[in-house]
Amino acid sequence: MTHPPKSGAQLLIDSLKEQGVEIIFGYPGGAIMPVYDVLPKSGLKHILGRHEQGCAMAAIGYARATGKTGTCLATSGPGATNLVTGIADAYLDSVPVVFITGQVPSDLMGTDAFQEVDIYGITLPVVKHSYIARDPADIPGMVEEAYYIASEGRPGPVLIDLPKDVANAVTTERHKWRSYPKVKPAMGSPEHIKICEEMIRSAKKPLFYIGGGIAQGDGVSELRDLVERTEIPVVSTLKGLGAMPSDHEHFLGMLGMHGLKAANFAVQEADLLIVAGARFDDRATGKLDTFAPHAKIIHMDIDIAEINKLRRADIWLEGSLKKNLAALNPGRSSADEWRALCYGRRAQYKWDYEAAQKNVKNGGVYAPKLLHDLTRRAPENAIITCDVGQHQMWTAQHCYFDDPKDHITSGGLGTMGFGVPAGLGAQLGCPDRTVITVSGDGSIMMNIQELATLNRYQIPLKIVLLDNGVLGMVRQWQEVFFDENYSEVDLYDNPDFAELARAFQIDAFTVTKRSEVDAGIDKLLAAKGPILMHVKISPNENVWPLVPPGRSNADMMER
Amino acid sequence: MTNLQADKTFERSGVSGKLKIVLHDVSGTLLRTLGTIERRGYDYRDVHCTQRVDGDFDLLVAIEDLGGPRNLDTLCKQLERLYNVVSAEKVGRRSRAEWA
Repeated sequence: MTHPPKSGAQLLIDSLKEQGVEIIFGYPGGAIMPVYDVLPKSGLKHILGRHEQGCAMAAIGYARATGKTGTCLATSGPGATNLVTGIADAYLDSVPVVFITGQVPSDLMGTDAFQEVDIYGITLPVVKHSYIARDPADIPGMVEEAYYIASEGRPGPVLIDLPKDVANAVTTERHKWRSYPKVKPAMGSPEHIKICEEMIRSAKKPLFYIGGGIAQGDGVSELRDLVERTEIPVVSTLKGLGAMPSDHEHFLGMLGMHGLKAANFAVQEADLLIVAGARFDDRATGKLDTFAPHAKIIHMDIDIAEINKLRRADIWLEGSLKKNLAALNPGRSSADEWRALCYGRRAQYKWDYEAAQKNVKNGGVYAPKLLHDLTRRAPENAIITCDVGQHQMWTAQHCYFDDPKDHITSGGLGTMGFGVPAGLGAQLGCPDRTVITVSGDGSIMMNIQELATLNRYQIPLKIVLLDNGVLGMVRQWQEVFFDENYSEVDLYDNPDFAELARAFQIDAFTVTKRSEVDAGIDKLLAAKGPILMHVKISPNENVWPLVPPGRSNADMMER
Repeated sequence: MTNLQADKTFERSGVSGKLKIVLHDVSGTLLRTLGTIERRGYDYRDVHCTQRVDGDFDLLVAIEDLGGPRNLDTLCKQLERLYNVVSAEKVGRRSRAEWA
């Protein structure tokens, strides 16, 4: 059967539209020019970032905020390699994004041509799947499968590398795509669900340990329903935050390296861990063989390869987390003493902001209180993106979250420079919601150029920049674990960030004293366009508690 | 700091064995499969790949772990997670001593 003649580039754009793509984040260049030639008449919205890494992270922010698959476009060579950090970020945080890269013409591939790199080979370890388009007639089937793979099961990034000659070639053919969809169990068997229910009923110290899979598996309401029926306490990983409201009566907080004491103590004493959408990541478990030493494990995950990977499960439920959570009905747990112990500890170790604030000298700003106040004054459905470092952990510890999609953080890869582009992507995906990026003076410089993107499209992102003049988390570790041997962490020569933002035509102001914080938050939240609140904080303020690397979560250090 | 790092990360845990992996004949699948085995912490001792009459490939690999908490069941699941890998299973597992 023949079809209307179309170029590979046109087929690509048509296929993207068929997949429901609305926004493409991208940056043009030589090898991808045939696609950019077709783009203006396509009706697709293209957001021109100022660096391919920024485009990649904007696509991730868009995908994480909306639940849709993100799309990112770049050229060959350096354009493609600039995507790699973003692709890895999407892989480690299981984010559905389709990355499309231009490539040198097929006959030049393998000749070290100008702007040629083997991006297919470079990204093999960090993609869920990838393709090199060899024939324009393959493109419709390839794109359809790429979007399916990116979002099905455990989501992840998919790469399509498109040689320039394939993009230019015109064809009347459409090849039937040879697809091999994997058959996976929809959910755990009724027998296994019964066994799980019995284990939950008989446990004296049961505990939910939840992760990012709850949001990705669309299981938030099922989880909350199950927690309220069983009244079992809950701890969360960084990426699971928001699956339970931060102030929920059964929620103990984040576990792990910077977890809350009540959460870590509960894990260490539990006799049953009900693990939902979490993967025993080392930042959550600390020294693995000391993690939850008394607990039997029920493990629920969409990805069967995570079961028994690091901790042997006593029983597991494959398939949809949403269906498995909904199917479990063990009744209310009788572990009243356990509940009392957990909630008593939560009250005992509750953060005393006023007392902690007094330790900050000369009326300086105490960042945890600022973040606590910020999210409680922001609209209820505000989205917080953040960068990586101390402010990331303070955000996790002190901000209020009511939905896991409200907290967009680089959890797996820990990518500095993530916050601003992810924030702009989230804001474009959710134009009616307030989006706030919490960043640090180290992180923001890694993708500072995206302030130009904010200005170009007047994206009303609100940036809170916590500036302590050092690489804070590294400085903290050097203080605590390297005998205060501070090495290459001093950012004494930072620019004036408010002035810098204004140079990008972004409204900006600086807060230096505690007494200025309330008015600063008011101004930030009231802004109609993009705005940056530059907050000077002490370089000596650390993140507590802290579990030293390689130690048990029971060994929490404090101020 | 030294004492904190004094764990057994780099000691071989002695996991070794032979896997049979069935692959669809799709460009890049062999590279993706062999790369996954290496990246998940295993060295090759032997690799054989032959095409079957149905067009798929049988890949037989003998592998030995590089250290850390490894198990071959998890590796098989990680391989089966790859698109165009039909199946991965352990066959005729042998002890480390037999490789000597």
